[in-house]
Amino acid sequence: MFIMRFTERPYVAYTEEDVRGSFRSAVRLTFSNSHFDPALGADLYNEYLDEYQFAEEAGFDGLMLNEHHNTPTCMGAAMNLEAAILARITQKAKIILLGNPLPIFDNPLRLAEELAEIDMISRGRLVSGFVRGTGIESWATNTNPVHNRERFEEAHDLVIKTWTQPGPFRWEGKHYQFRVVNPFVRPLQQPHPPVWIPGLGSPETLDWAARRHYPYIYLETDPQVTVQMTELYHKSAAETGYTPGPQNFGYLWRIHVQDTDEKASEVGKGFLIGNAGIGRVPMPGDFMAPAGYNSREGSKRILEQYKHSIRPDALYGGVDAAGWDAVVASNRVVVGSPKTVLRKIREGLEILRPGILGMWTNDGTIGHKDTMRCLQLMKEEVLPAVHEMGKELGLPGPFEQAP
Amino acid sequence: MTASAFESKSVTVGGAAIQYLVAGKGAPLLWLHGSEGNAGWLRLHDELARHFTVYVPTHPGFAGSDRPPWLESFVDLARFYLWIVQQLGITRATLAGHFIGGWLAAEMAVMSPQVVERLLLVDAAGVRPREGEITDIFLQGGEGTRRLSFFDAKQVVDYELLFGKKPTPEEREAQVINREAVTRYCWKPYMHDPSLPALLERLRALPTLIVWGREDRIVPLEAGELYRRAIAGARLEVIDHCGHFPQLEKPAEFMRAVGPFLGL
Repeated sequence: MFIMRFTERPYVAYTEEDVRGSFRSAVRLTFSNSHFDPALGADLYNEYLDEYQFAEEAGFDGLMLNEHHNTPTCMGAAMNLEAAILARITQKAKIILLGNPLPIFDNPLRLAEELAEIDMISRGRLVSGFVRGTGIESWATNTNPVHNRERFEEAHDLVIKTWTQPGPFRWEGKHYQFRVVNPFVRPLQQPHPPVWIPGLGSPETLDWAARRHYPYIYLETDPQVTVQMTELYHKSAAETGYTPGPQNFGYLWRIHVQDTDEKASEVGKGFLIGNAGIGRVPMPGDFMAPAGYNSREGSKRILEQYKHSIRPDALYGGVDAAGWDAVVASNRVVVGSPKTVLRKIREGLEILRPGILGMWTNDGTIGHKDTMRCLQLMKEEVLPAVHEMGKELGLPGPFEQAP
Repeated sequence: MTASAFESKSVTVGGAAIQYLVAGKGAPLLWLHGSEGNAGWLRLHDELARHFTVYVPTHPGFAGSDRPPWLESFVDLARFYLWIVQQLGITRATLAGHFIGGWLAAEMAVMSPQVVERLLLVDAAGVRPREGEITDIFLQGGEGTRRLSFFDAKQVVDYELLFGKKPTPEEREAQVINREAVTRYCWKPYMHDPSLPALLERLRALPTLIVWGREDRIVPLEAGELYRRAIAGARLEVIDHCGHFPQLEKPAEFMRAVGPFLGL
């Protein structure tokens, strides 16, 4: 079992009224950056890095980062910079980037160079995840959403070729053209750093990842739907004569632990405003998925998959649509004392059987002090037990058994 | 001429089936629809069909017409449209269009002025205003764009028919396809072609009428003035108390404005 720690690095110093005053009441994209205080931002970035540094000491195998743009819900607008810092200030934990939004890069070679640097500075600890990004990333960078998937696939092919084939070579693609591909620095890990693909279960992406044997990391998807998505992955993998195992699957899960169930439940409510933002005002659907961002067939299948989900607004709202008690009762968010949390994690692992567990330990209004206490309890009482659970349940991570 | 007399046809161009409505007698006139897609045979088309053979094609990639897989940009669209015109057996036509349809007509005209008899641009996109901005209809979303489209929606006789009823699942699907097509062609640079203003000078000998709703909140009147200045001899008719769709919001004034120009 490979366990990684995650937070979206939120910024919460604004009000619901601020959000409602935003164009189309959106907390992302059009929410004015006049609400951002760089002095507070400076404190937060440093606290977040401290937390990740301690997470390594606490026994996490990986430190997971993500990237979003134009939003207070995630300050990781330039994730690779944070990764580069972690590469230098940590020693053994893998640095898991889930992921770089490929379609928004006009120059994927620069990305290949950045990632190679991170891999070398960390002495080969980089896991390079790639994503399509939400629609917001397309908006924020003015990247045409109808080309999102094409650019994702082409940029991926270009980065992998850049890492694995001696340069110089020429690339004349549909979206990218380079006459001299020859970045001098190459990644330390050979043939290239591991690639993992996080997502919400877009069938095309699942199929694409399965055909490349890339581990797929479910971003806190509905458990029942997740099991169906895993079947899709297995089916596509089988078509290439490949049999996946737990090492091919990850599950990101909001898990917050405190000394008592009561305290954890109280503090854990901060998750509700995590990626939904203060006030939990629903995002306009066409901001999150502009026209052409998803294929028409793909959109239908995603909606069908989510029909019976606890979150009818799975794509556009927060985890809270069903209400806090229902969310906690359903195990979609795990909060409690170490004992409670361990029991619930086991229940989830038995159903989902991932080899990679992403622990989204804090978000929203869960502050630094509570987060540090959570990580301390993780170190003392949770992580050793979950590692044992992984062995007992036969859930090898991708560094125990290569995918 | 009655609305029931139009025909729905299809022409195959470069492997793509392009749908169009056609009716009337006389010289050919192409009406090029805006971002909303082909809304069908309208009163306006009936009026024009008294004097012209009116073609109302559905743009490639919009609901009803195929998009050849290589067609990605607005300039591609204009080049392909000249091929469609050729395939229809038309050697010379009046090109009329609204919003992106007007932009399309202008692009076709600067590419092949010899195939254009007259040019009629209605609240057209294509030229970037210097003072104002073309409203971002993607950012506004469907509802916001609708709200900004009219000076007073009550003036639109066919409002209920066109926008009032709840869309059927098929109509909703068509809206999604249309939005995707507009996104593909018009996302970046948004709703304009930086080269177009310089090329419009080529149209100095072409009879050109520009019609604009004075209170257009999608493409500001300034863009109409820029078109007029760029095309020597062009006239600009501005309709008062009127938004982005003069042909729907002020149909009588619209026909009075275009009548003499089209020889109606």
